[in-house]
Amino acid sequence: MATSKNSGGLRQLLESTYSVIALLFILVACVELCDAAAAVDVYRLIQYDMSGTPFGSRFAALNHHASSLRFPPGADLSRTVLIIPLRELNVTFVREYITQKKPLGGLLFLLPEVLSFKQGGNKQVHEKGKMKKLLMELEQLLVHSNIPYPVYFAFENDDIDTVLADIKKNDAMGQPATATTGGYKLVIPIAEPKKVASPTITNIQGWLSGLKADEDANQLPTIAIVASYDTFGAAPALSWEVTAMEVALWLFLKWQGFSIFSTQTLRQEEAEELDLKVVLKHKKINISDPRVAWEHEQFSRLRVTAATLSGCPVAPELFEGTGGLFDGRQYVNETAIVRGVKLVAESLARHIYGHQGKSAQIFADESSLSVNPAYIRSWLNLLSQTPRVAPYLSKNDPFVMALKKELAGHADEVNVQHENLEGIFTFYDSTSARLNIYQVASVTFDLLLLLVLGSYLIMLFCFLVITTRGVDDLIGLFRRPPSRRVKTA
Amino acid sequence: MTMFHFFNCAILTFGPHAVYYSATPLSEYDTLGTSVKAALVYLGTALVKLVCLATFLQVSENDGFDPYQEILKAFIGFIDVAGLYFALTQLTHRNISQNHKFQAVGLGWAFADSVLHRLAPLWVGARGLEFTWDYILQGLEANANLVLSISLAALVSLIWLRKNKPKTLIPIIYACAGIVATMPSITSYLRRELEWHFPKVIGFELFTSLVMAFVSWQLFSACQRPSA
Repeated sequence: MATSKNSGGLRQLLESTYSVIALLFILVACVELCDAAAAVDVYRLIQYDMSGTPFGSRFAALNHHASSLRFPPGADLSRTVLIIPLRELNVTFVREYITQKKPLGGLLFLLPEVLSFKQGGNKQVHEKGKMKKLLMELEQLLVHSNIPYPVYFAFENDDIDTVLADIKKNDAMGQPATATTGGYKLVIPIAEPKKVASPTITNIQGWLSGLKADEDANQLPTIAIVASYDTFGAAPALSWEVTAMEVALWLFLKWQGFSIFSTQTLRQEEAEELDLKVVLKHKKINISDPRVAWEHEQFSRLRVTAATLSGCPVAPELFEGTGGLFDGRQYVNETAIVRGVKLVAESLARHIYGHQGKSAQIFADESSLSVNPAYIRSWLNLLSQTPRVAPYLSKNDPFVMALKKELAGHADEVNVQHENLEGIFTFYDSTSARLNIYQVASVTFDLLLLLVLGSYLIMLFCFLVITTRGVDDLIGLFRRPPSRRVKTA
Repeated sequence: MTMFHFFNCAILTFGPHAVYYSATPLSEYDTLGTSVKAALVYLGTALVKLVCLATFLQVSENDGFDPYQEILKAFIGFIDVAGLYFALTQLTHRNISQNHKFQAVGLGWAFADSVLHRLAPLWVGARGLEFTWDYILQGLEANANLVLSISLAALVSLIWLRKNKPKTLIPIIYACAGIVATMPSITSYLRRELEWHFPKVIGFELFTSLVMAFVSWQLFSACQRPSA
């Protein structure tokens, strides 16, 4: 009798085991085996106020699920971060989202690795042009908009590429990531952005005095060569744009013992000898406009003759000509810079020393006064690796100190002036952070797991009671209360 | 949600011990004291093993399998057996039958092992955002360990507490005890030398634990019959 009951119990046990195993297989099929979390450096979009109007991305902290561009239409994205690689960027789509103020948890743009710190190499040169244009457009859109969620830039690498591929696969199956369906979660633990307290602009001035003949009673005229070393871009931590031409030129001229301050206009003959085309453009200046189109117009207002060397035929708009994310080291043509430096140096030398019209080249190649490409190259490398947005450079920034030191090595006298940037512009900090990508399981997975574990423990309990105490005891556990009632009755 | 996951893994790791205690007659005979004493003996044994490992083992740079080191580790693993012997024979227990004594000792032993090796990683890791299967696999390992500990306790009690054993079974008992005692070395060999993945190793452990439990159950019941 007892044995048949035992065998019946065993059969029931086996059947329930099979169902638990089947449930486990379903569980495994739902959630794949995952990799470890990835951590990536990310750079935030600039946040600034201009005369009180807010621009840029107004938030920094991020803690949302990730989604790609292939999200199912009509999905709620207010708690989702869209990851957009530059290759798939559609600027109209982003513009639509921003101008129509559609709710979004955040934006993460993935820039190709060629634009990063490391030299990108020569691969896909033809793609670079298209991407540069796209990035310029995107930057202009972002910098002039007020965006109420965090916007970050990151460089593509293997980790983030695999994550993105996985996200696209999940999105294609129609399962946008939420708390109940699992997926990837992007977390950036960073404090709320604060205003940069009294941002300063640093001007560095160097004087080199010329030789005065004793009988000359007049003061020697002054030639001022002005260059700006700062940048402005969509991501302040990535704005190492190369106004290097100007800075390199400036430093080179100092090195050659130049820079007596005077006013000067450029000579066309020297340019023709060096095979460069120089066009002199005159433009009327609007004195009442607080903004100046070209840098030399400031001087012109003070009745000082001035000119600006530029590659752009038309004056750039606000923040347009200051370079940005797309201006990388690879886009800089070293030989062009060397040629430009030589051109300016030659024309200045001929003016100062009175060699106009003569064809001899003072800074001829192979001579001791020739432009040193290695010197230019080393400064270009430094400039292209240092982000130089002015409000984020402190008073004693190492880069500014380096410029000052280099100038001091070649000029007689060096002055440094600090000026406060309060007033029209207010900038906010938190420009770069570390993004953590976690693969999270959904709540339903844990609920299922709880169910499985509960049934496993109950089964274990029943099994142990049956084997050690017998089936009668198991049934007795459930029948005790009624038996008491029977007794009293 | 992550606390939820921690809770799930915790009940997988520690639940079976509680279930075992309440389901079997152990709870009726109130053998909790025995289990607690066995747990303390386990802690002492673990300390002794740690000291021996630190003294005799050299730290190798590569993660490969060094036979000499592994044999040394296996020998140190026999300290486990000595600890169990101590817990079974030397400690004063209340009047419990031998049947229940080895179960209580094995249970306490396994519970202390789980707490020592698995509680800290579980608390630190399972509460994080990132999901891995590791903690669930660790829980399954704890289950296998429970079965193995009870089997080992049964075999040790057979060796030292039961005086009249059938002569033919004695070598089998010793062999089984040896296999169960060296299980840690076997699993580390599988993981490093043959490079099995964690789930495969856990599956192997579960399988062997069930097999060894069955074998030791048979041996125990065979020894309980009066010898012919």
